[in-house]
Amino acid sequence: MYDIKPLEEEWKKYRKKKRKPLYLAGAGFIVFLVLILFFSNSDKITFKALSSYFKTLKNTIANNEDEIPKRSALETGFVMNAPLMRVEMEKQMIEETETENTEESPGNILVDIPILDGQEDTRSNISKHRRSKVHLDIIKTTNVTAYKDVEKRFKQSHDIDDSLFLARSYYKKGNYKKSEYWALQTNKVNPNIEESMLIFVKSKMKLGRKNEARNILRHYVKSSNSQEAKKLLYRIENGKF
Amino acid sequence: MKSRYEAAKQVFVDSVDIEDYIDLDASVAAYKQLEYSLEKPLKMILLFGRPGTGKSILLNRIQEKLKHQKEIHYFDTPAVNEKEFFHKLFKVLTQKDLPSNTEVNFSALVEFCQNLRGKREIIILLDEAQMYGTEMMEKIRLLSDSRAVKFVVSLHKTDDEDLIAKEHFQSRIWEVIELKNATKEDQTAYIHKKLLKKNLFEIANSIKAKDMKLIHKFTKGNYRECNKLLFTIFEICEYYDKNEPAKVNYAHIHHRIIEMSALKLGYIHV
Repeated sequence: MYDIKPLEEEWKKYRKKKRKPLYLAGAGFIVFLVLILFFSNSDKITFKALSSYFKTLKNTIANNEDEIPKRSALETGFVMNAPLMRVEMEKQMIEETETENTEESPGNILVDIPILDGQEDTRSNISKHRRSKVHLDIIKTTNVTAYKDVEKRFKQSHDIDDSLFLARSYYKKGNYKKSEYWALQTNKVNPNIEESMLIFVKSKMKLGRKNEARNILRHYVKSSNSQEAKKLLYRIENGKF
Repeated sequence: MKSRYEAAKQVFVDSVDIEDYIDLDASVAAYKQLEYSLEKPLKMILLFGRPGTGKSILLNRIQEKLKHQKEIHYFDTPAVNEKEFFHKLFKVLTQKDLPSNTEVNFSALVEFCQNLRGKREIIILLDEAQMYGTEMMEKIRLLSDSRAVKFVVSLHKTDDEDLIAKEHFQSRIWEVIELKNATKEDQTAYIHKKLLKKNLFEIANSIKAKDMKLIHKFTKGNYRECNKLLFTIFEICEYYDKNEPAKVNYAHIHHRIIEMSALKLGYIHV
C-alpha cells in the first residue's frame, strides 16, 4: 500500500487546476454581465455626467454654506417675520438657479440633479412651472458622444429639455437638418413650446425652404400671437434674416 | 479485517489467464474471425493491435478451444535466438528434443515440412512476433510455404511504427486481423463481467455510468490500462475501507478516487 496522503495532496492540486478554467469562465461571465449592464445604462449615466454631477453638488454645498452668514445677516440686520424671510430666501434661490442656467459650462452634459428635501419644498412653492430638477445644458461641446447620449436618452424618456437642447445646439453648430429634426421632435411632444417652433422655422430658412418656413410661421403667429414669432416673420418677409 | 475491495483488486491483476477471458462483442468477433481464418488454406495470419488490446489472451483462448481438434501450439515468449526458436519448432514438429549442442539444418527442416503436407496440419501461434528479426520472419514464411505449418503471427508496434510494421508483414501475410481498443460500452461490459464472474455484484453496481465514462477517458479503452486503473482504484478503496472508512462510499466509487488513481498511474498530471 503506497502512501495515500501525498496522493490526496496531489489530487487537491489537480482539482484546483481542473477548476481554474471554470473559475476564470465564471469571472469572465460576471465581468461580461457587468459590462453589459454598464453599457446598457451608459445612455443614462456616463463618467462625465457623474463627474459633472459631483462638481455641481460640491458647488451647491458651497453655496449653501455661503448662505448661512447671509441668513444670519438678514436675521440680525432686520426685524423680519418668517414668511417675509422665506420670500427673501426664495428670491435668492431663483437668482442662483438662473445664474446656473445661463452660465457656460463647456465640459458639462445634461445632468439631472436630485433636489434635497428641504430645497424641494421651497422650490415647489416658488413656481409651479419650474421643474423639480436643475437642468444643466451643454452650451459648447465638441464631444459627439455627449450628443449621442442625449439623443439616446430622449428616445427613452421623451424629455423635451433634451430634444430642445439638441435642436438649439445643432442650430448653433450650423447643422440645420438636425436642428430642424430635433425641433420637430420637441414640437411633437409639446406643441406649445415657442422656442422649438422658432428653431424649426429658422432651420428651414437656413436650409433654403423660405416659403415653407414663412407659411408655418404665419400660421403660428395667427394662432399664438407671439411677439417673437412676429418679429421673426417681419425679418423673413423683409429679407433681413 | 478483510476489505471487500481486496477481492475486487485481485480481479484486475493483469494476466493472460484464460479463466479471465471475457466475451465481449469485439472479442467474440475477433475470435470468430481468427477461427474462420484458420480454416482457410492460408499460410500466415497476422493478429495486429496496440499493446493491451487482447491479442495474447485471444491466442490463448483459441489454443485452449482448438487444442483437442487441431495440432495447435502457442509460443508465448519469443525465442532469444534463431537456434532456440528452431529447436522449439523441431520439438513441435518431431516431438523429439534436440541436444543443445546441435544446430537445426533449415533446408532439411523445410523439406521435412514439405513432406508433412497433406498428412498433418500444424498451427503455430507466435506471440510478440515483433521481437523476431526480418531474416527470421523470412524463414518462418518459407516454412509456411510448405502448407503443412500455418503461422498466426501476433505483433504490436508503438505509435508511429504501427503502420510500418503492418505494411512490412502485410506483403507476406494473407490475412490481417486487427484488434482495437474497447469502446465505452465494451469496456463497461468488460469491467462488470469481470467483477460478476467473481460474485462481486455490489462493487460492480457501485461503478456507475459516469465513472465508466471517466475510466474510458483515462484508459482510452485499453484493456491492460483498464486493469491497471481498476486495480489502483480498488487498492485506494481498500486503504480507505481499512483506515478511513468515512472517505469511501460503498454505493458509489467517488470520482476523487478514480482521479487519484489516474494521477498515480500518470494518465493525468498536476
